[in-house]
Parts: sequence; structure tokens; C-alpha cells
Amino acid sequence: MKINVLQHAPSAHLPTRKGDPMPTSRNLDPLMHPFARARERTRAVNAAKLDRIFAKPFVAALEGHVDAIEVITRKPGDLTTVASGSWDGGVIVHHLARRSQLLHLPQAHKGKVSGISFSGDRLLSCGVDRTVKLWSLDSQDRTPITTFDGKSAFNSIDHHRSEPLFATASTTVQIWDVNKSAPISNLAFPTTSESITAVRFNLSESSVLASIGSDRAFTLSDIRTGKAERRVVMQFRSNALSWSPTFPTLLLLASEDHNLYTFDVRHLAAPTQIYKAHVAAVMSCDWSPTGTHFVSGGWDRTVRIWEEGRGTKPEVYHTKRMQRVMSTAYSADARFVLSGSDDGNLRIWKSKASEKLGIVTARERAAIEYRESLKDRWKMDKEVNKVLGTRHLPKPVYQASKLKRTMLDARRVKEERRRKHTRAGEEKPKAERAKAVVSEQR
Amino acid sequence: MDALIAKADAMPSRKRKRTQPKSKTDRTYESVIKQTSLPKSLRATKSIEGLPTHDHIANKKLRRQLTRTAENAASSKLLREDAELLLTGEAGGVAVEGEMERTWRVGQAEIVEGAGHEASRGRREWKLDGGPYRTRYTRNGRHLAIAGRTGHVATFDWQTGQLHSELQLQETCRDITFLHDQSHYAVAQKKFVYIYDRDGVELHCLKSHIEPTRLEFLPYHWLLASVGNAGYLKYQDTSTGQLLVEHRTKLGACSTMTQNVHNAVIHLGHQNGCVTLWTPNLPHPAVQLLAHMGPVSSVAIDPSTGGRYMATAGQDSTVKVWDCRNWKGAIREWNARGGPAELEWSARGALAVASGGTVNIYTKPSIHNPLPARTQPPLYLTHPITHRPLTSVRFAPFQDVLTIGHNAGLSSILVPGSGEPNFDSAEADPFENKKSRREREVRGLLDKIQPDMIALDADFVGSLAPESKLTTAVTATLAEGKGPVIGGKAMPNVPYALLPRMERLRLAGKADTTEDTSDWEDDAGDDNDGEKKPKMTKEEKDKKKMRGKGRSLARYLRKQRKNVIDPTAVAIRKKLEKQEAEKRKMEQAAAGQTTDAKPSALDRFKRPS
Repeated sequence: MKINVLQHAPSAHLPTRKGDPMPTSRNLDPLMHPFARARERTRAVNAAKLDRIFAKPFVAALEGHVDAIEVITRKPGDLTTVASGSWDGGVIVHHLARRSQLLHLPQAHKGKVSGISFSGDRLLSCGVDRTVKLWSLDSQDRTPITTFDGKSAFNSIDHHRSEPLFATASTTVQIWDVNKSAPISNLAFPTTSESITAVRFNLSESSVLASIGSDRAFTLSDIRTGKAERRVVMQFRSNALSWSPTFPTLLLLASEDHNLYTFDVRHLAAPTQIYKAHVAAVMSCDWSPTGTHFVSGGWDRTVRIWEEGRGTKPEVYHTKRMQRVMSTAYSADARFVLSGSDDGNLRIWKSKASEKLGIVTARERAAIEYRESLKDRWKMDKEVNKVLGTRHLPKPVYQASKLKRTMLDARRVKEERRRKHTRAGEEKPKAERAKAVVSEQR
Repeated sequence: MDALIAKADAMPSRKRKRTQPKSKTDRTYESVIKQTSLPKSLRATKSIEGLPTHDHIANKKLRRQLTRTAENAASSKLLREDAELLLTGEAGGVAVEGEMERTWRVGQAEIVEGAGHEASRGRREWKLDGGPYRTRYTRNGRHLAIAGRTGHVATFDWQTGQLHSELQLQETCRDITFLHDQSHYAVAQKKFVYIYDRDGVELHCLKSHIEPTRLEFLPYHWLLASVGNAGYLKYQDTSTGQLLVEHRTKLGACSTMTQNVHNAVIHLGHQNGCVTLWTPNLPHPAVQLLAHMGPVSSVAIDPSTGGRYMATAGQDSTVKVWDCRNWKGAIREWNARGGPAELEWSARGALAVASGGTVNIYTKPSIHNPLPARTQPPLYLTHPITHRPLTSVRFAPFQDVLTIGHNAGLSSILVPGSGEPNFDSAEADPFENKKSRREREVRGLLDKIQPDMIALDADFVGSLAPESKLTTAVTATLAEGKGPVIGGKAMPNVPYALLPRMERLRLAGKADTTEDTSDWEDDAGDDNDGEKKPKMTKEEKDKKKMRGKGRSLARYLRKQRKNVIDPTAVAIRKKLEKQEAEKRKMEQAAAGQTTDAKPSALDRFKRPS
């Protein structure tokens, strides 16, 4: 008879020398880990709650403007330099890290500054006083290097990515050379006489530019052919546009109908995605440099951060004193979001609300990553999802969104009833995305 | 502009089919892999067979995610099987060499002789005169708490012999249990439950637990459960201190309680022979069964099968083994000689039965095999103890040690093969030091599971919700011509646009009804799950007959909407046709006709079967 009795060798389970860590042993048998799933769920709920507890997105407010901030532009290839232009005609170049002003031009334009763009180390600004001005960043005497005169008030300006060209938007889209005083070409779609509100060069195919106008349309033009190539008329006019930095054919529009739209320019019949959450007109939008997120600011006094392709439940930022958000921008490292509002403050927010600023140790990073994966894995759980998805909204915004939902539901029901009582096949339901586009013109 | 479009379109489309099928073994890869260690991302993914397919899911993103989840679960299962090789501990056992040898003939003296020096220290006798003793081990098996009937209470590290506390309480003590670890313990005394710390200082007197007889601590929920002479089962949350709930069992004084460690359900054995299963969130027993023809003297759950088997012993001196998945009679029962028995099941599935003056130990496969005859399973070990009554039997976790409490103290005997050889130091570590004990305490508090999560099926967390048995919008609307029922409430005239998404899909005939419920993550020994569902009786069939969607759909079309053509009606018609076609196919298949092959001219020569 062979008898074998279990015994643990203490040498294998105790530290060999004093001060050594305790040796650990693992047994992955599920029977050894009762309630493994339930415990993991508890951890996921805790992770979600911690995420909300640490959500303190506001970083700083940069003062200096007297009136609403109309435009925020970051300097290409620079992490910290950002310029903002205001309705009082002032332009400020901010240093984000130091939270100081590199350049302050209190009277850059008469009336509002409607557009700013960096041209290498210099700054281009346009205003409703029918001028475009070129500034040097270290000009202390507050006089422009050059002034370009136009025939009507300018609404927007954008510099070409590589060449010394810039485009302005007024009644037409004009292309200028930095070294010449008159526009070198005029881009206009033949059948329209609208006023253009914004113009942006594509970041990858840099001779293509998109513009939006007051007649509810957005236009794609090419400066090589000197023509407007496509024009898409939508139900409502757009207030801002932005090209995706990583996916060159993707165009983002901030619309007056409270929604944002992404269009693939290869297929303009319908937007690829509608982003619905704002309860008033969306005034501005900007892509994250990673191309996975974008930020929008609205007339409803909120800043929202969206994930590309996810049309609902964006991150919402608001404060009591922030007024209508007229301009938004992502920082170049995609960690921060800037918003300029009617109250004249430029606010810096974290793009991930619960991110820790400062040094993160390796253990902390591991814990954060574990919590992230827990949240991702358990996001279908009701409680986790509830904690993760709930955002506090200011009362007016909350009421407005409730009202809006009721209205939209009523409209949908009404439409359905109408269809039910018309002859079969006479009226077909139209997809929500297809509704947004009225017509596409070539 | 066109350049932009051309540029963007130049991206290779993913839909393009491969011209040649990818060969299964990549020669270059095979040759390179022998010499190098590739990063994880570049390693070839092993194709795992038997993965659930998700071809029926239209949404590409979801399909990919589901496939990936299934792959991950399967591969981690494989990896876990691999990791079993790393387990170093070797389980004990008694192996017979000759045909005529019997393991139960081996006495403790022989076992002690055959055991190693360290292991042989598990065989001990403690002579104490506090009356019959109850004992309890901590979860890591290092510390032992004993309570004598007359009030002698002690806790100690039984391996080093270090005494933590010793109290003479001078009143009846009926049970003792450690809380989350050795730093606290609870004693069921004459009137109330008291909580002491490691040094024996009385911390709390739980006055709501009146005349307690048995105590259990649910470690993952931090609940102390007690049952007493009044027949109330009370749960006290030891992390917040509040009395969570008290259940009136209505079955009189109760002196038998045990917990199922895998789902935290409390099993009570009653005076009238009933065994009841309790969870905090149900005011009545989740299961109640008549187990014995007299009082139940002991209940034990088998932890080695995930709590699948329960053993009960009664005053009628029978021992029964039950299958907790269905309660259709005991799978095995036998007579224990010498009166009511005390039962305990070890981590590796050895069942100890202490009755009369002996402790008998039975091992795994034979206890679970159903046998109609009332014969006892083959005996593994037996040990006589003269100090009757034997009031408690406890296996020491991670040791081959069984501790029996009796009238004259305690005796520990060696039971080779009863203890789990490999512990997981994240769960319970016999060698843990002060720091790791503290860490575990904090972690345990952070991971505390809410008491309302206790259910008979512990795996319901994170699995798919069962489909509601309430009438769905579709059937209700269509059958009665009224509004749908959502969440049990009748909603008259809810328009299609406001229905929940699942209902809309169902109405449009697009709902995914082919839900694949094979769960790759669920693997706690599902090997003997292959039982078929019992056939429906005729009554059940008739009862369910009219409830099918098909009938009500057909009635809907027939009665009200004969000449209405709207999308709903069209969808329903299409669905009906599909169902009928399927039905026809099934019937043909049942009749033995295969319709898959094309009919040929030679069919007429087929012999009719």
C-alpha cells in the first residue's frame, strides 16, 4: 500500500531571505475562484464610479478679450501656441502651458475679427472691416506687416498647408498669395450668389477646399482647376466645418439644426453619421489631431466631445459662467480642448474628463489601464452603463433636451399615422440621414 | 477634388476575394518560429475548433466583436489548461497495490508512518473538557477556532501551535465561525451572537440574533448568517454592521445550517425533515425539499463540483446525496450505523460521515453515481473515536487533515487525498504574512458583492438576460387588436415609432431569433451537462399550443387585415410563408424524405421505405 499525504514545503512559499517579497502561487481552476464574475463586475462598477468621481475636466480660463471669442486657431507644428480673435477686434496669441499671452493686439481690426490663420511664423487675420492683415508674432509696435484689402467683409480665412497661399470667404471664395496684394483667383459656383461663412483647406490633398455658405450649402472646390466642383444643399445651413486630419475624405459640418454631420466626399448623397445631442445650433467644431474624436461648441452653452462614428452620448462640459460657445479647438496633443465663448474667456478643458495630469507611476498606469478594460468589458451591464453614461446637465439644457425629444417623437408618430392613412406605397419613409441632404449639384 | 477621390479610392477594398486560399501552414513562419520569439501581435492565431459562429448576425462590427470574444475565451481556456502544468503541488492519496488490499483497512498509525515529517504533524489529539466541541477553520486552513458546549472558546494557529485567544465564557456556546479572516470570530452563545477579535476582546454583541444555534459567514458578501431556536434566519452585514434581512422559516427551531461556497446560498435542515435553500432577497426558500422522515441532523455541499451535490443526514440515521440541479429524489442513500451523522465534504470531494463512534470517509465517483439500492458506497477510510457524540467534522483547507470535535476534545486525522494541493495566493494563502492579510482584507472589502446578487445560479452575472415571459408587443397587438404590453403594463395604441427597438425589429421580421447561447466562458465543469430536456407531456403541449406566434399571426391576417397592405401585414405574411416552408421541410425530414438533393429521373425506382 502506497500512502502519500499532501504537504507544502515552506521553503517554496516563504521568502528565502528577510525583506524578500512573499512568493505568490496561482491556481487558475475556476473552482478556486468562486464568484469571479460577480467580483469583477463589482470592480467594474467601482471603476466606473471612480471615473465619475475624478471627472474634473476644467483646467484654466484665459482672459483678455472684452467680447465674445469668434475664432480659435492653433499653430501648426506647435504644442502650445494658440491664437484667438474676438468680436471686439482684438487678437491674442496665447501660450497654453504658461497660460500667458505671447502677443496681444487689442485693435487688430475694426469690428469683429472673423478669422485667424497661421502662415508659418506669421499670423493672418481677417475682419469685417474688409481687410486681411498679416502680423509678425514678435511685433511689439502692433502694426501689421501687410494689409490686404477686399471688397466686402471677410468671414473666414484659411492658409494653405504648404504653399504661401490663403483662402478667404466673403461673398465669394478668394485665393490670395501672401506676397501679392490682390486675390489671384475667385472660386464661385456658377449659379449662386451666397455669402460664404467658412472655408477650410483639406489637410492631405491640400489644393482641395471646402466652404459653407448662408444658402444652406457646402461646396467643394479645387484651386488647381479654379472651380467649385461639388455643391450639396442641406436642410439647414452649417455654421462651421472641419476636415478630418487622418481620414482625408471625411468632412465634419456643424449645423444650425442642432446636429453635426460627417460626410464622405466620395459619396455626398447622405452623411455618414449624424451626431445628435446639442439642443441649440452648433456654432463650431474641430477634429482631434488623432481623428478619432472631435469637439463641438453650441449655442446651448455646452461643449461636447464626440467619438467619430458614435452619434449619441457625447461627453458634455459646461460651467455656470460659460455663455454661448462660439469657437472650439483641440490642442495639438489631443489631451486638451479649448473653448471660446460669449463671455470673452478662453477655457482649457481636459479631453478625457477623469485623466490625471502630472506624473503617473507605472503601477498607477497599470491600475488605470485595468480599470479602462473593466469598463469596456462590462459596459453592457446596466449599472455600469448607467454610471458611465449619466452626465449632469444644466437645467435649461436638460429641459430643452426633454422637450426636444418629445417633439421629435410626436413628429415621428404623426408621420407614421399619416403614412398609415395614405394609400399604400404612395409615401415612403425616408431615412433620417437622407433627409439632411436636399440636393447634390455638380 | 477628383484627385482626392481617386486617392481615397485607391485604398484596397477589403471585400476583394483572395485569389488563392491561404495555406494552413506557413513554411516561413514555421521555420522562423523555432529560432525566435515573436511579439504577440505577430504570432499566428491558432485556429480553435468548435467555436460558435456568428454568421447570422448582420451587423459587421458586432459580429467581429462576438467572434473575437469567443476566440479570446477559447484561447484563454486553452492557456489555462496549459497553465495546469505549472501547478507543482501533488495531491495525496492511498494507492492499493494488490487485488485484495483495501484502503479502509489502513489505520491512522500506518498513514502517519507513511506520511512525511511535516504532514504527520496533522495527526493530533487534543484532550479538552469543555464538552462536545464545534470547530471551524479559516479559509486558508491555517487557523482553527473551537467552541465547547460549556463555554470554552479558543482560536489558534494549529500548525505552529500559537494560541491567539482562549476564553471561558461560562455559558452555552453552540457554534463558532471566523469572519473574513482570523482577526475576528463570532460565537453563538446562549442568548446572542458575540463577535470577538483575535485577542479575545468582545467587540460586539448582536442582540438581534436571539438564541442562535448555527453560524455561517459568506466571505465574498461579508454576511454573517445565523439561525436559532426561534427559526429565524438572519443576515448581518459585517462590513456595514446593519442587519440586512431576517427570514422567518416557519419550520421551528433549526440546528443545521451550511453554505454553498459557490453561490452563497444557505441550506437549512429542519426538524420535520425539510431542507430549505435561502437567499437574502427571497422571503421564502428558493428550494424546499423533504429530505428525511425525521429531523435533519446535518447538511453538506460538495465544493469540488461547484456545489452540484448536497449530502444530508437525518436522525433516521440515513445519509442521502442529492443533485442540486434537479431535486428528483436522492441519487444515493444509505444507512449510517449508530444514529444521526455529521457530514462534511472536502475540497477534492471526499465525504466524511461521523456517526456513532466512527468517522467514515467516502471518495468521489462512487458517491455521485446513482444507485437505487440502499447500500453504502465503497469505504475509503474509517477511524473509530470512542468519545461520543461526534459533534463536528471539518476538513482543513489545503491539507489532508480532518478535524473531529467530540465530547473529550478534538482529534485530527490524516485523510490522504482530501485536500487541494495548489492554493491561489490571491484567494487564500496558508503562508500569508501580516501585510498580505491586510491587503487581502482591503481587497475583499473593495470587491464585496452586493447581497442581492445571491441567486441559485451564481453565473447569471454577466450572462444574457432570459427572454421575458410576458406577452410581447407583437403577439398582444396582433392577437387582440389592442396595444402592446411593455413591462407587464398594457400600452394601448402605442405607435410603431415609439415601440422598443426589439419590438420594432420583431414586427419588421428582422429580429435575431437564432440566439446562440453556447457560452465559452462558462466552463466550471460542464462535461456532464449533456442531458436532454425532458419531453413535454400532452397537457403541456396543449397548453403551449395556442401560444405560438404563428397562430396569432395567422388569425390576425385572417380576421382583420384581409385586404390591407401595409408594411406590417406584408412582413407578417412573409414571415408566415417562411414558417410554413420550414414546417413543411421539418415534416419531410421527419418522414425521412431528404429534399436537399435535386429530384432526378431515377427517383421513381427508389424503394419506398
